[in-house]
Amino acid sequence: MSDPAITRGLGKGSIVLASRQSRLILAALAIIALPLIFTDTYWRTNLMICAINVLLALGLDFILGYTGQLNLGHSAFYGLGAYVSTLLIVKLGAPFWGAFVAGVVFAGLAGIFLSLFAVRLRGHYLAIASLGFAVIVYQILLNWISLTQGPLGIYGISPPPAIVVGGTTIVDFRNLTSFFYLVSGFTFLVYLLLDQLVRSPVGETLTAIREDEVSAASLGINGAAWKVFAFGVGAAIAGAAGCFYASFVGTLVPDAFYVSEAFTILAMVIVGGMGTLIGPVFGAILLTLLPEVLRGIGDLRLVVYGAALTFVVLFMPGGLVQAARFVQEKLRPGGQKT
Amino acid sequence: MTTTIVLQQAINGVVLGSLYVLVALGLTLIYGVLVQINFAHADFVTLGAFAAYFFMHLVGAGYILSIGVACIVGAALGWLINASIFTPLRRKGNELLPLIATIGVSVMMQNLMLTWFGPIPYAFETQYSSQVFRFGGIFVSWQNVIIIAVSSIAIALLYAFMKFTFLGKALRAVSQDRETAGLMGINPNYLIMLTFVIASALAGMAGAMLAPVLVLTPFAGTSVIVKAFAIVIIGGFGNVEGTILAGLIVGLIESYTTQFLDPGLIDIVVFALLLLMLAIKPTGLIAERREENV
Repeated sequence: MSDPAITRGLGKGSIVLASRQSRLILAALAIIALPLIFTDTYWRTNLMICAINVLLALGLDFILGYTGQLNLGHSAFYGLGAYVSTLLIVKLGAPFWGAFVAGVVFAGLAGIFLSLFAVRLRGHYLAIASLGFAVIVYQILLNWISLTQGPLGIYGISPPPAIVVGGTTIVDFRNLTSFFYLVSGFTFLVYLLLDQLVRSPVGETLTAIREDEVSAASLGINGAAWKVFAFGVGAAIAGAAGCFYASFVGTLVPDAFYVSEAFTILAMVIVGGMGTLIGPVFGAILLTLLPEVLRGIGDLRLVVYGAALTFVVLFMPGGLVQAARFVQEKLRPGGQKT
Repeated sequence: MTTTIVLQQAINGVVLGSLYVLVALGLTLIYGVLVQINFAHADFVTLGAFAAYFFMHLVGAGYILSIGVACIVGAALGWLINASIFTPLRRKGNELLPLIATIGVSVMMQNLMLTWFGPIPYAFETQYSSQVFRFGGIFVSWQNVIIIAVSSIAIALLYAFMKFTFLGKALRAVSQDRETAGLMGINPNYLIMLTFVIASALAGMAGAMLAPVLVLTPFAGTSVIVKAFAIVIIGGFGNVEGTILAGLIVGLIESYTTQFLDPGLIDIVVFALLLLMLAIKPTGLIAERREENV
């Protein structure tokens, strides 16, 4: 004799779980299928850039959407990851994956360093301090010519080493498809880990801090420490994106990490829907592919980004996620809210 | 010889500094009444500069008159951004959304200007740039005299307005406590609009005077605004005296860094100072009376 309410609750829960798992499987299948459908180099390159941008947007969303810290310097962590890993490989001959870990750790530590300055202050201070940090990093990359070769850039960066077992090459990352599977697989893994994290008590703690830090503190939550933690994680993810970017493009110039890049990533998070994980994924894909589809607009690419950012904040602050929910509710029979 | 260089760079530093003060004062005034940041302030500076340039070259007007035109363009933009972004978003009460929306406006305006005006820098020469007089061993151009005179007059007028007029008093009342000021019969919406218009007029004016000193491109305002943000924090958000002091300090840092170190280091030095201030005295150079800012 079970309580019908509980049974219904359980049933609903398992349906939600099942649909979550099936969505993840669907996403994994989509990742596998995409480079098989789009066989020309142009579209495969776009897919690769999508995967890198999704990684960047996920990192920023974890900082902005889950702890409410407006980070306007995400480009700096992206650039630090790219330059630290590449310099270790080119100058010191470090192995790729060692340099990768070093780049990720360095970017994460830089994020922790920056957030320690501004964590006691209101949002606006962090926004400006992080913007300033991005300007400093850009200027250092540009002016420390003996190390970074400044605006001349670093050329001939190789992709990750091939996986060789017993003398035969199993996966060669010079092949664009294999490299795409590597980066998108990594991005998928990051998504899963963040998804687990925000569903765990840690996620609830972070949301509590975002909504009301004083009340959270009264429950014994150390808001400052959690904010620094989130900033470090988000910055480290950007560092990983930087490592992949460098080995994918093969050249590094400081202009790729100018402050406007941070605004581009911000637009992806906002347009997708900050504070959700799936939103920034679609935001990044949409804003990466939209300018490619609308080739005619040429130089107006960034005008579209700016307009999207402004109008989403004004009229649809929940972004694509809010729009999707709205459509779902309209389509549901009866149309009432749950 | 060295003394001459130091004095010469002091003049250059004060010229730059007073322009930075004009830009930063606008940001700090808006922060005072609204606790919000207008990121597109930078582009008001740039558009003011282009307005002055085209007014001089297409209409054939004098330089002083075109500074006035830049002022009007800035004021109109300020009114527009308040009406279109800040007023609708005020009801939602989120402190970061308006900032994000104005980043969007800024990206949009910069790239529209890029398609209209192109990336090649414009040579903004005025008849005063080449007229130079000697003062001891130091050379001073009339352009510099105009910049210092106009910005001093503007800052003094603003100061007098805030201190001695009824509207100025109402404005300070709103920035101290918007709700109580409303209860006293002050219309905060009108005053917020007025603040935006004044702040943006100052930005437009600064643009018209900055363009002959720096290079005029669609991104001219961005390099200035980043320093203006630093100045606002170093001086203390919403603090007029602190902003003036910090603006002059940053101007001097810029001219001495260019002379004795390397121009590429300017932003690094300024932002190192900003991070240092955040670490030791986040209330700014001159102590702020209100504690809730921090």
